[in-house]
Amino acid sequence: MEALTSLLAGFETALTPINLLWALIGVTLGTLVGVLPGIGPALTVALLLPVTAKLPAVSAFIMFAGIYYGGMFGGSTTSILLNTPGESASIITALEGNKMARKGRAAAALATAAIGSFIAGTIGTLLLTFAAPAIAEIAVQITPSAKFALIMLAFVTISATFGGSPLRGLLSLFMGLAIGLVGTDLQSGQARFALGRPELLDGIDFITVVIGLFAIGETLYVASRLRKGKSDVIKLEGGATMSKQDWRRSWGPWLRGTALGFPFGAIPAGGAEIPTFLSYTLEKRLSKHPEEFGHGAIEGVAGPEAANNASAAGVLVPLLTLGLPTSATAAILLAAFQQYGLQPGPLLFLTNGELVWGLIASLYIGNVMLLALNLPLAPVWARLLLIPRPFLYAGILVFSTVGVYSLNNSVFDLGLLALFGVIGYGMRRFDFPVTPAIIGVVLGPTAEAQFRTALQQSNGDFSIFVRQPLTAFLMLCVLAALLVPQVLKYRASRRAA
Amino acid sequence: MTQPPPTPSTRPPISVPDLLVALALTALGAALFLGSREIPFGINAVVGPRVFPLIVSVGLTVLGLLLTVSVLRGDRAEPAAEEDTDLTVPVNLASPGIILGGFVLGAAVLTTAGFVIGTAIMYFSVAWAFGERRVGLMAGVALAVALVTYVAFTRGLGLNLPPGVLKGVL
Repeated sequence: MEALTSLLAGFETALTPINLLWALIGVTLGTLVGVLPGIGPALTVALLLPVTAKLPAVSAFIMFAGIYYGGMFGGSTTSILLNTPGESASIITALEGNKMARKGRAAAALATAAIGSFIAGTIGTLLLTFAAPAIAEIAVQITPSAKFALIMLAFVTISATFGGSPLRGLLSLFMGLAIGLVGTDLQSGQARFALGRPELLDGIDFITVVIGLFAIGETLYVASRLRKGKSDVIKLEGGATMSKQDWRRSWGPWLRGTALGFPFGAIPAGGAEIPTFLSYTLEKRLSKHPEEFGHGAIEGVAGPEAANNASAAGVLVPLLTLGLPTSATAAILLAAFQQYGLQPGPLLFLTNGELVWGLIASLYIGNVMLLALNLPLAPVWARLLLIPRPFLYAGILVFSTVGVYSLNNSVFDLGLLALFGVIGYGMRRFDFPVTPAIIGVVLGPTAEAQFRTALQQSNGDFSIFVRQPLTAFLMLCVLAALLVPQVLKYRASRRAA
Repeated sequence: MTQPPPTPSTRPPISVPDLLVALALTALGAALFLGSREIPFGINAVVGPRVFPLIVSVGLTVLGLLLTVSVLRGDRAEPAAEEDTDLTVPVNLASPGIILGGFVLGAAVLTTAGFVIGTAIMYFSVAWAFGERRVGLMAGVALAVALVTYVAFTRGLGLNLPPGVLKGVL
């Protein structure tokens, strides 16, 4: 019941006219940028960070909530009309949704994606409302050693367990950790790896790393292997609508997709990719017409798209209650909190209750706005896909420059941006995943702080990491997450030989 | 699997770029390790400021060595398939070079010539690198985008961006 009272107070915050306006601007900008090909939800949030720079914290986060969900909605529109997933979680939508669009069923594909996202987002936000305070209450008692173990678990699952190549994922993670080390050590005041540059004493701004690796890296990489010829956009007449039969075939996948997506978002398991694949497989198995899958089955859009959005809501549970981002987008949101001097975690509910509950309430509002925006305005968003590539990528670069320059008004940061752009190019060319690096930059300093606090409390006794029960259990999970996939792979290769 | 498994005598060729990347990562780890040893222990602290850098640098070095070994055994990276890319065309490194050059030039003149001129140079160079050749149109769009961005962020959102030569005009 307590959650309900808090939520109502949150709605009081979020429903003021000015905050409603920020929410509306947030969802509109989020959708607008998210629709642009080549920009996934993570980059959408990163590019729009400077827009909120001068706002009070509560309004800024209400806008972020809109940008976050809006970026997801925009991404699915692109996947369906263009067959180009902006991120790995949209691969399935691109596969099946684009096939539907090619058969002239673009309106139905967009509608089932939008309504499914709305339902999944709303149910996910409901679950977040009731789960978050309960988890926050438990989380207050977690010891520093267990927090360190939890971060280790997030590191390993995100970089090694679910990726294509564990070695490359771990290398990416360690590169991120190394970047996170640069600057003044907060506990001792000791400068580390600053190379004598005063600009580096404050550390490297996380936003510079994200925009460099994602936006500049992508631009350089695409330029080096540009596809010639026009991209193939589906024409759209009128808004997104569905027939009665589409509704009948969609509601089951929506609910099942939500049930799969939310828990996967809430545990550190590498984001929304897995639940979308699981949802697709499940729908194919349950379907009365499995032969339609791969040729434009509506269930194959409805389920995964719901899973994707429910996972986006689930990601906010560990982010708000533990300060633990489990996806690249969540890591950027965490950095946004830190820019306002806020540390997400169990204490945030006590110290900044108004902000947290205002944010949660605005998630409900944003979802309703997105539905209202996306169904009738689908053709407008579709027009954005027609922007010629040279002008689109040039615009992305200009926006990246604004975002990074406005952090400290420093040209030195733009030099760093170019450097991370080149690294981002290399990561794409040599198959290193970007997300582990991002997580490493954001969580590295936190991991170090918890590690040191834990050892301060135990007077330098390292056995704290195996004696404290919860810590020991989490450390076992870390080992399992590292070793089990390897063992399975080895056995599979033995069997194949 | 219709092909016979490769026999040890016919090892796949070693990919030189992959090997360079692996060695560079190992070298970076080693350099960080040497840098970490320069950091003082810290006083009155159980775990000083150098412990974590040592862990990270050793980890990076070991992982780099593992990657080097796997590359020497014939492992090679598959370039990512992104939207708008075509992996069958030969790699064109001139375009990223033009983008970087335009970016560095624009950043260098950002404070003197101003934000609008600087970002217009960046915009133009990216559009050029992506194969656009309608110079008049590109220059117009570049200036328009830079101007609108400048006005929106300075007037609308209160950010400070350098006006440069347009000081007093805007």
